[in-house]
Amino acid sequence: MVQFLKILPISAKIGTVTVMYPYDRPLVTESFRGAIEVDPDKCIGCGACTRICPPKALSFIQEGETLILRYFVGRCIFCGMCADTCPEKAIKITKEFELASDQIYELYSDVQHSLSICRKCGKKFVTRKLMNKVKNLVKELPEELLELCPNCRRIESLLRTTTTR
Amino acid sequence: MYTYLSKLCNVDANGKFNEVYLNEFIQSIQGMARIEEGGTDFLRIVVLKDNLYNVVEKLLKIKDVYLRTMVSSDERTINGFFKLYYIFGIDTLSKSVIVEVPLTENDLIVPTLVNLVKAVDWYEREAHDLMGIKFAGRNQYRFVLPDDWPTDVYPLRKDYAIQDLMKLYTPKVIERAKEVEAEAVTIIPIGPYHPALHEPEYFELYVRGEKIVDVRYVGFMVHRGIEKLGESMKYNQVPFLAERICGICGFVHSTSYCQAVEQALQIDVPERAQYIRSIVLELERLHSHLLWLGVAFHLLGYDTGFMHSWRIREQVMILAELLTGSRKTYGINIVGGVRRDIDEDKIRKSLEVLKNVEKEFKTFIDIAVSVPQVKARLKGTGILPKSEAHALSLVGPTVRGSGIPRDIRKDYPYAAYRYIHFDVAVQDECDNMARALVRIDEIFESIDILRQLLDKLPKGAIAVESWDPEPHRIGIGSVEAPRGEVIHMVITGIYSPYRWRVRAPTYQNLPAVPIMLREIELADAPITIASIDPCFSCTDRALIINIKTGKIEGVPLYVLSRKKLEAVR
Repeated sequence: MVQFLKILPISAKIGTVTVMYPYDRPLVTESFRGAIEVDPDKCIGCGACTRICPPKALSFIQEGETLILRYFVGRCIFCGMCADTCPEKAIKITKEFELASDQIYELYSDVQHSLSICRKCGKKFVTRKLMNKVKNLVKELPEELLELCPNCRRIESLLRTTTTR
Repeated sequence: MYTYLSKLCNVDANGKFNEVYLNEFIQSIQGMARIEEGGTDFLRIVVLKDNLYNVVEKLLKIKDVYLRTMVSSDERTINGFFKLYYIFGIDTLSKSVIVEVPLTENDLIVPTLVNLVKAVDWYEREAHDLMGIKFAGRNQYRFVLPDDWPTDVYPLRKDYAIQDLMKLYTPKVIERAKEVEAEAVTIIPIGPYHPALHEPEYFELYVRGEKIVDVRYVGFMVHRGIEKLGESMKYNQVPFLAERICGICGFVHSTSYCQAVEQALQIDVPERAQYIRSIVLELERLHSHLLWLGVAFHLLGYDTGFMHSWRIREQVMILAELLTGSRKTYGINIVGGVRRDIDEDKIRKSLEVLKNVEKEFKTFIDIAVSVPQVKARLKGTGILPKSEAHALSLVGPTVRGSGIPRDIRKDYPYAAYRYIHFDVAVQDECDNMARALVRIDEIFESIDILRQLLDKLPKGAIAVESWDPEPHRIGIGSVEAPRGEVIHMVITGIYSPYRWRVRAPTYQNLPAVPIMLREIELADAPITIASIDPCFSCTDRALIINIKTGKIEGVPLYVLSRKKLEAVR
């Protein structure tokens, strides 16, 4: 037989390899990284994920007294750095990849956080959840200092140290 | 200085010849240059611009010297100078020589090296466009930046933040969109190049009858300013950007970047991480070469071969996803190591896949290269003489197809390549067939390398726990990509790289294409352009200018190629 015709029995044996997507077997392996999911109960709004996210798919938006952690899947590169970084393990990497939509708002998902307000100047500075977390971690911090924004806190503690002397 | 040199020249017997020359070179440039301590991986020479030509001329007397890359850098905020770094490699010594030229802001004219080192041509033009360095003794025209870019705005200078540049430059197309009242819509130019693809190329072939007389190349149509963007990102975000430089061999870029930072900051990467990097790099080479073969067969009209090659490749893609979490753009490199481990189960599955791929590919490729049309089209076309390959400092399968055994894995070992045995595939015929055979040999070699790596995979951590950046240190990272050498240079900053320079293999190899195309038949142009393995999809359209009639026609490349196929049949 002419050498190049030997491809014919191979083709006949293998047959069609095209998968009948989406009716056939699953397309991804167990290691596959797809879109992420943020657990609103676990998330404390610290912003670690927004700082590491290479394509800036995760960002903070402030609306009044609410801080929104917005995930825009249109920018996501599915690297999962956010899940690695999250101190609260609130971010889960799913196997979701069929994400196309003709409505852009379907590509956004938000987690809302209420902000604590500075007792002195009224500035909104950190999410309540993060504040509570710090409260539990650093017991020796006086309550009234915690409710101040970093700037007012600095002034306040300076005043305290000078007046006690 | 000599104790330093002896450390530098600590090489095996075949390096002896060069060692002598390197010593001689150092002596011959006494009084013209200052030698700086640069670590064991490279020799750093500071030269004033008036002595540059003489020093490089002396350096080129060493055998096997080639230009790896040239970096222009704005260091006015650090030391008050603009700087040029010419990075040369001495293959047999496994060492790089960095020739550093400081320039003051009011005198940015440097003598050109084009007559000495052919490969410096593009680098000089790029430095001119992006950094505003002038090169005396050559003609200079806009090369990288678009025609409507404002004059005297040099984007890589530290004077401009990305936001400033966005304000300074509005592409003409936006003006036109306003004219037709379509400013709120997305503009998709469809033309001789496509903006969605990563390496758009445009060749003008000048033909007389069916013979190609001359070739002109126009490039940089989608210059994306990635280097500038990287300088505004954090150290561990850049690998993900780097990986997106190329859609086919992205991992080589993230590895190069990480290695450059690791060399600059002297971070000791755990051995297991180095093995995992090598494993993923070889997987990438496997899939890339199988892809190349498939597309090459397609261009030659052997679509059966294309289908089977890609069918075999699919197993490699799925394996890559199993090991890293993604089919492509694996996203597992970070500075100091990797993010995903390989367990026993994955090793077992990998070995199974490799066994299958090897068996299927062996049967398939024996059949494919025996197809008369394939043989006839590859043999004797696209000749690239060894002397030209050497003069142009070419890299990868392109240079290995012309009989020069340049392979970064062997010459400048990185990751886990120093722990394993492999041969460098070389062919002497200098034609398209030689370059194809190099890639075929490398597929088998890669499978063998993967087996060794999976077998020897050491225990331990996969990344360093922490590391501290120290500003203003230099590091070079180079990787043998499927297409040739990728080289990144990093000057470190506090939170981000201060300067990040990327050089992909196609940048180095493209100037060879006109040489290969001259005097060949028009129908062989597609496979010849493809033989350096650029991005195919981008080269999919060509413009033919008939010198006799002055007629200009645009045709898809594969149609061109099919015509000859009919003839060979």
